[in-house]
Amino acid sequence: MHKILLVEDNEMNRDMLTRRLQRHGFAVCCAHDGSAGVAMAVSENPHLILMDVALGEMDGWEATQLIKANPATATIPVIALTAHALASDRAKSVEVGCSDFDTKPVDLQRLLGKIRAFLPALDQSNAAVA
Amino acid sequence: MKAMLVKAIAALDRLVNHFIPADIAADRDTRNRAHVFLVSHILGPFIGNVVPISIFVLDPSPGYDVAVLAASITAFWVFPFVLRAGVPYNPLALVSIENLIFCIFWSCYFYGGVTSPTLAWVLVIPLLAFFYLGSSSRLRLIVMTMFTVNVAIFGFFYFFGFQVNNKLPVAAMQGLGLVSTTAAAIYVAMMALYYAKIQASQSELESEMREHMATAVALRAATEEADRASAAKADFLAKMSHELRTPLNAVIGYSQILLEDAETEGDAASVADLTKIHTAGQHLLKLVNEVLDLSKIEAGKMELDLEETDLAGLLLEIAESARPAAAGNDNEFRCTISPYLGTALCDAGKFRSMVGQLLDNAAKFTRQGRVELVATRATDDTSDQLMVDVIDTGIGIAPDQITHLFEKFTVADDSSTSKYGGTGLGLALSQKLCKLMGGEVSVESEPGKGSRFSIRMPLAIGRRKTDQHVVATLVPTAPDLALQPAAEIPHA
Repeated sequence: MHKILLVEDNEMNRDMLTRRLQRHGFAVCCAHDGSAGVAMAVSENPHLILMDVALGEMDGWEATQLIKANPATATIPVIALTAHALASDRAKSVEVGCSDFDTKPVDLQRLLGKIRAFLPALDQSNAAVA
Repeated sequence: MKAMLVKAIAALDRLVNHFIPADIAADRDTRNRAHVFLVSHILGPFIGNVVPISIFVLDPSPGYDVAVLAASITAFWVFPFVLRAGVPYNPLALVSIENLIFCIFWSCYFYGGVTSPTLAWVLVIPLLAFFYLGSSSRLRLIVMTMFTVNVAIFGFFYFFGFQVNNKLPVAAMQGLGLVSTTAAAIYVAMMALYYAKIQASQSELESEMREHMATAVALRAATEEADRASAAKADFLAKMSHELRTPLNAVIGYSQILLEDAETEGDAASVADLTKIHTAGQHLLKLVNEVLDLSKIEAGKMELDLEETDLAGLLLEIAESARPAAAGNDNEFRCTISPYLGTALCDAGKFRSMVGQLLDNAAKFTRQGRVELVATRATDDTSDQLMVDVIDTGIGIAPDQITHLFEKFTVADDSSTSKYGGTGLGLALSQKLCKLMGGEVSVESEPGKGSRFSIRMPLAIGRRKTDQHVVATLVPTAPDLALQPAAEIPHA
């Protein structure tokens, strides 16, 4: 089972996305701010990270940079989630080392497609669970 | 009579203005003094010369003194030309006053001394000095000194042996006194009146200026207030929309989860109810997003998110997502997209929203008719244009309602709102998005027959800059692509 780390400060969004991802066969762990996200990237060693960029003190870009700077977590794919589908946001997410980019509110099927693109090996097993 | 006087004064004003040099005209205080100075010099010799003429008539044997007096009085006419030639005003005014003092003392010297009938003119000297020179105490002191020096010189000659015998008989002296005093009175009265007129028009001008300034200040305040209100409105709408979206996302997200649960469990009744909640939530979210987009565009904060886009693919995608709505109401939905649209730099999201609004609109107002989407690209030497038409056979729009159709919150007819619904945001948003992308939406319609909404969007050639941002987004990557006959895309 693939483990996804969801970094999101809004409780309802966190809850919804967690449940919907679990429904599709993912193990989900959550961090409610940027620094917790960076810490959990090390402790949980997830297969993939979903990073909300509009976080409180440490924003998602900064957290991603720290994750990418740490050799232990640098290879974990990060998908940035923003409220605005702007080219500048996309450019920024590439700049800080995100693997992909998606917008909120989440279109689950589209997000699942992006997630699965980074987890090809276990795609079948996850699909089966879903 | 009065009209003639007004005309004469106007002519005099024109003449006076002709003699005032630009540098004096620019300074209001000097200009007013120069005005009085010029009027005095233009009219003065007419009145002043009455005295030498009277002497010439009354004196049985007029001497050179009359000629000198007449010459120095007439010399006042030279002053306006000297002023116009650029000689500084204050020294010129002092020379003029000296000439005046000389004229008066000269006539007194030859005709009666301290009992001269022309002595009344002495009163004119301080008056004119005041009119000409204003409130400068230095200049007043100079005038006083000049007066004293003249008195001293003429007094010296008068009292020490150069007395001139008055050759005029007593009756003639009396006549001269009468004429001279009357002329002096007329002259002083005229100057005083003219001075009063200038003062009056000046204070009128000043009060008018004050009024204008007050109006300007009020206007500026009102504009600032309106700008503030407008900014506050846009800000409020943006914040409000954002605040509305968070709970709405929860409604949509959780209803989605429950819906998925109900589907898994085969709970058909719940699925139907939850679908309604989910659909209503999404509809509401769409409206909120429209408000947010409109306020963003109006605040100039909407940015284009340009990306290389396959236009035909994008339009097909839009048509597919609009199909359920368009084919609803027992409508036939036709879609004719030229496969030769090519690719362009385009904000796909906003393009989708723009065309989608038009399709939604067409579907909403058409029952048992036809909704059609036609897209082609017209390329010639001077232009390269994307043309997307949304055609329906719906209720149409009356000519008098077309004008306001693209304004916010305008639904063609209030009665249609109850039947068809709608907030009037969609078309306004479509138009604004289209303009943001450098194009324009136009409409042709006939009530009862249907409507045609046409998007005309310039591609590469139309790319241009506005004050704030690049508006044209559609830049073809294959500009040499020839336009082929549109192929009908079959639809399911």
